[in-house]
Amino acid sequence: MWELLLNSRKFMIGLSIVVVIILLGVIGPMVTLNPNKMNFGALSQAPDTHFLLGTTQFGEDVFAQLCSSIRNSLMVGAFAGAVGTLIAVFLGALGPYKGGLADDVSSFVTNVVIVFPVLPMLIVLSAVIVERTLFLVGVLIALTSWPWAARSIRSQVLSLKEREFINLARMSGMKDRITVVTEVLPNMLAYIMMVFVLLTGGAIIAEAAISMIGLGPPHALTLGQMLYWAMRQTRLAHWWDSWWWFLSPGIVLTVFLSAVFVMHAGMDEIFNPRLRKM
Amino acid sequence: MLRGIFGHPFARFLIKKVIFYAIVTFVALTFVFLIPRLMPGDPVDMMVHPQPGSPWYNDMLILRENMREYFGLNKSLFDQYIAFWGQVFTLNLGVSYPYLYPSSVASIIMARLPYTLMLVIPVLFVSFFLGNWIGAKAAYTGGKLSEAVYFFSVFSNRLPSFWFGMVLVFILAGRLALFPAYGYAAPGMLPSWNFNYVNSLLMHYLLPFITLMIVYLGGWATGMRSMIIHEMDSGYVRYSEQLGFKKSTSMSYAKRNAILPQFTGLNLYFNALIGETAILEMIFGWPGVGRTMFDAVFSLDYPLIFGVFIVILVIVILGNFLIDTLYGFLDPRIRAGGKR
Repeated sequence: MWELLLNSRKFMIGLSIVVVIILLGVIGPMVTLNPNKMNFGALSQAPDTHFLLGTTQFGEDVFAQLCSSIRNSLMVGAFAGAVGTLIAVFLGALGPYKGGLADDVSSFVTNVVIVFPVLPMLIVLSAVIVERTLFLVGVLIALTSWPWAARSIRSQVLSLKEREFINLARMSGMKDRITVVTEVLPNMLAYIMMVFVLLTGGAIIAEAAISMIGLGPPHALTLGQMLYWAMRQTRLAHWWDSWWWFLSPGIVLTVFLSAVFVMHAGMDEIFNPRLRKM
Repeated sequence: MLRGIFGHPFARFLIKKVIFYAIVTFVALTFVFLIPRLMPGDPVDMMVHPQPGSPWYNDMLILRENMREYFGLNKSLFDQYIAFWGQVFTLNLGVSYPYLYPSSVASIIMARLPYTLMLVIPVLFVSFFLGNWIGAKAAYTGGKLSEAVYFFSVFSNRLPSFWFGMVLVFILAGRLALFPAYGYAAPGMLPSWNFNYVNSLLMHYLLPFITLMIVYLGGWATGMRSMIIHEMDSGYVRYSEQLGFKKSTSMSYAKRNAILPQFTGLNLYFNALIGETAILEMIFGWPGVGRTMFDAVFSLDYPLIFGVFIVILVIVILGNFLIDTLYGFLDPRIRAGGKR
């Protein structure tokens, strides 16, 4: 099944774009200038051969800033995506397996969190928490992002539970916990991977939204943070006159999210039996 | 008589929903109450910083104690919790301090809420009808058009609305000067029903509206397109075609079945829209509750921050309840009862 992924055009296109962006974030900061170095001879310059994406109003290299921002945004995204996936898997698999009260409670918690207005809540939390670090913002996003994933994992587990090999495992006296870990989860690995990919994309955009309004981690450069400064600090008449500064982070965000979507669509075609073309 | 009403499946459905949302409100507001109180320090610490050695040091300490007493922060947690619920029920959310002192939080929110709702509600419903129409049309026509609609709607739905808003300001307001870039009316104008004011308001309204509209249209169109394609492949549509039904007739059956799941999406889109509107209000200087909250956060106006959050929460819960009711009314299995 995994080699089918290599033949999926959608998956490979999405994956290669994601890999290029990851490489920008990993290798970029090593080869570019210091993103915070101010060059007072080149304030608010339009892109040219020396500054590929121009400079900020303090003469910082926008391309260097972009690379560090990608790295930080990806780190927050992957961390929040992983934690969110763990919560979703735990709550999604617990209910159908324990049944009864555990199922009622886990579904209820999921349904409650699903109606919470996440962004306003993150704004309130950012207002009462003074020491905001990249890690903390990641945790906050992870804690609010999982409900839809838990719901869909729950329905997957419910349908898997009725399959013969699971019944066999149960009849042979395997403990529930062991059945879930050795029989159910491996069969859902593809699905869990899809959830992780989508949650990571969602976490990156959530972080950008919080940073965009100035409530992100104050000492780390992220894509949203770049947009925040681009809108607030300009020597020119209007903030949009330095278009090179705010266009690039948004383009990276849009391209990344589209690539994640295409990747997910490719995986869906392979792992979802209803869509599979044999 | 009473038993007859409660026996009806639609009534049972509504009662279940009311209980559920009442519990959600209770849990959410308890969180709102607890989180800031579990954090180290309190709002007063952040508003007043006495510097040891300064001539006003002792006065500052006394000021802090007075402020704690004023906000009721010196009482026990339980007494504060009871007082908190009293405030919520009487909508007496305190006085804004220091951002718009001495206006009451409730009056500030009441003045700004219409601006948020006039963005959220039209965007939600117009994008729902237009997006579903486009998606259904695309699936029905098929071929190149269908592919093009899919491509564009996926792309538009991936756009981060806050950045896309900036791009529209850059192009439509900055370069082409078609719209004003910021605010809600020309400077110096006061809200009234004369033509100039309404016209100015409308021009300021269009950019955030278009931004949200483009992003949300894409979501509905992709969903509806795949739903219709799925329905067109199903037994009853094929059978009706073999019976010689006109394509438009069998399509009207397909549309009815495809639209129902789309209504469940209304909740998710509504919740997302509330958050995204809050952020767009800051970019466009639109004076809704989102921007009020943002200003309150930056002036450390805690009564206003929590007041706005409580109101947003109530709107979200009310909105979700109304959407659920609509769904129950539209779904014949719930409306008429029978086995689900």
